[in-house]
Amino acid sequence: MTRPLRIGVAGPVGTGKSSLVAAVCGVLADEVRLGVVTNDIYTDEDARFLRATGVLAPERIVAVQTGCCPHTAIRDDVSENLQAVEELDLREGPLDVVLVESGGDNLTATFSPALADVQVFVLDCAGGDDVPRKGGPGVARADLLVINKTDLAPYVGADVELMLADSAAVRDGRPVLAVSLRDAAGVAAIAEWMRAALAEHRAGSLVAQDPGPMAPHHHGDGDLEHTHAHEDGHVHHHAH
Amino acid sequence: MLDLLLADARTPTGGFAHSNGVEPAGVGLPELGGFLHGRLSSTGLVDAAVAAAAARGEDPLVLEAAWVARTPSAPTREAARRQGRSLLRVADRLWPGALDAYGVSSAATPRPVVLGLCGALAGIGPRRVAQLCLYDDAATCCAAVPKLHAVDALDVTTVLAGCEDLIAALADRAATARELPSASAPLLDLRSVVHHENSRRLFVT
Repeated sequence: MTRPLRIGVAGPVGTGKSSLVAAVCGVLADEVRLGVVTNDIYTDEDARFLRATGVLAPERIVAVQTGCCPHTAIRDDVSENLQAVEELDLREGPLDVVLVESGGDNLTATFSPALADVQVFVLDCAGGDDVPRKGGPGVARADLLVINKTDLAPYVGADVELMLADSAAVRDGRPVLAVSLRDAAGVAAIAEWMRAALAEHRAGSLVAQDPGPMAPHHHGDGDLEHTHAHEDGHVHHHAH
Repeated sequence: MLDLLLADARTPTGGFAHSNGVEPAGVGLPELGGFLHGRLSSTGLVDAAVAAAAARGEDPLVLEAAWVARTPSAPTREAARRQGRSLLRVADRLWPGALDAYGVSSAATPRPVVLGLCGALAGIGPRRVAQLCLYDDAATCCAAVPKLHAVDALDVTTVLAGCEDLIAALADRAATARELPSASAPLLDLRSVVHHENSRRLFVT
C-alpha cells in the first residue's frame, strides 16, 4: 500500500496558508481521505483554527510544535513532522493525502523533499506586489505558487498582472495561480492541481523536487568560500 | 566519532522543540546553574542510568518499564517517546534493521533506552553513554534560555561548561549503579503537566 501523498504548504506569515488548507479540505474531503499537520509557534493555534472550520474531523488534524524554529521543522530536522504524518496515517488512515502546513516564516523557508513530496508556496497581494520580484527558493521553485487575496489588490494598490509576470520570469514554466480563497473558482484550481499531484503519486512517477537552499549567502571581503544558488536548484561552493 | 554525532543537536531528532523544563519553571540565567544541578541529579541521573544499562546490553523492554515507573509525568513520557522514535529513525539509517525488533515490540521507546541501544551499536561504552545523556539534557535546557530571555548566549554556554564535574560524577554513578536509581523531582513533574495545558508555550516540554 502506498503511503499518503505529503503536500507542503509554506509561505510568509499572514498570506493565507491556514485558509488555503481549510478551503481545499472543504473541496477534497468528500473524495480523498485527508489529514492535516500544522506547525505553530505557540502550541496548536492553526490546528484549532482548522478544527473550528469543521472541514475535517478534529482527529484528522494534529499540531507539531516547533520551539520557535518553524523552518528547522520543515527543512533541516523534519523528524517531528514525519512522525506526526506517520502516526496520523496509522491512527486515522489509510490516508490519501496529508497536508503539512508550515509555520509562517519568510521567503527563504521551503520544505525538505524528505518531508514534502510536492509543495505550495503562498504569497498575497496585500504583502506587497514586489514580493515575487524579490524571489527566493519558494517563489522560484515551489511546485505551485499561489498569489492569494487578489480581491484585496485594488484596495492595497497591488498589481496582480505584475506579480504574475515577475513570478513567471523566475519560475521556468512552473505553475502560478492568482486566486482569492473567497472565490470558489480559485480554490477549485488549487484542488485540481492537488488531484493531479495525487494521481502522479499513485502512479509512482512523482519525484520530490527541492526548491533549493534557504538562501544564497553573501560574505564580506576576505571570505574564501561563497555559495551560490542556481536557477536549477543546485548549489555549489567555490573559492575566490 | 559516533559519540559526538549522537551528542550533536544538529543530528535530526527534534530536540530543538524542547526546553527540558526550563520554560515551565521560568528559569533564566540566574537560576540556570541551580536548576541544572537539581535536574541532572534527579531525573537526569535516572535517564543516564537507564541509557548506560541499555548500552551494557540489558533487556530494553525491562529497562523501559523501569523508566516508565520512574517517570510519573505523562507529557514527559510522551515527549521521550517521540524523541526516542526520532532517534530510532536515525539508527535505522546508520544501522539498518538493527533496532527493528525493539521498535516493533516497544510502545514507550523512551529516548534514554534508544540512546543506550544506539550507544551499543556505535561501540560507545556505558559511562560515555551516560555522560552523553546528561550532557544532552543540560545542553537542551541551556539552548532554550536565550530564546526565552534577554540573555547573552555566551553566559549560558559558560554555565553549561561549569557542569563538567557534576556530569562526570553523575555519569560515574549512572554507569556503576548496582540497581537503577529512583531519584525524582516532583516539581519538574508537576510543572511539565501544567506546561502541557498552557496554550501560550513555545516549547513542547
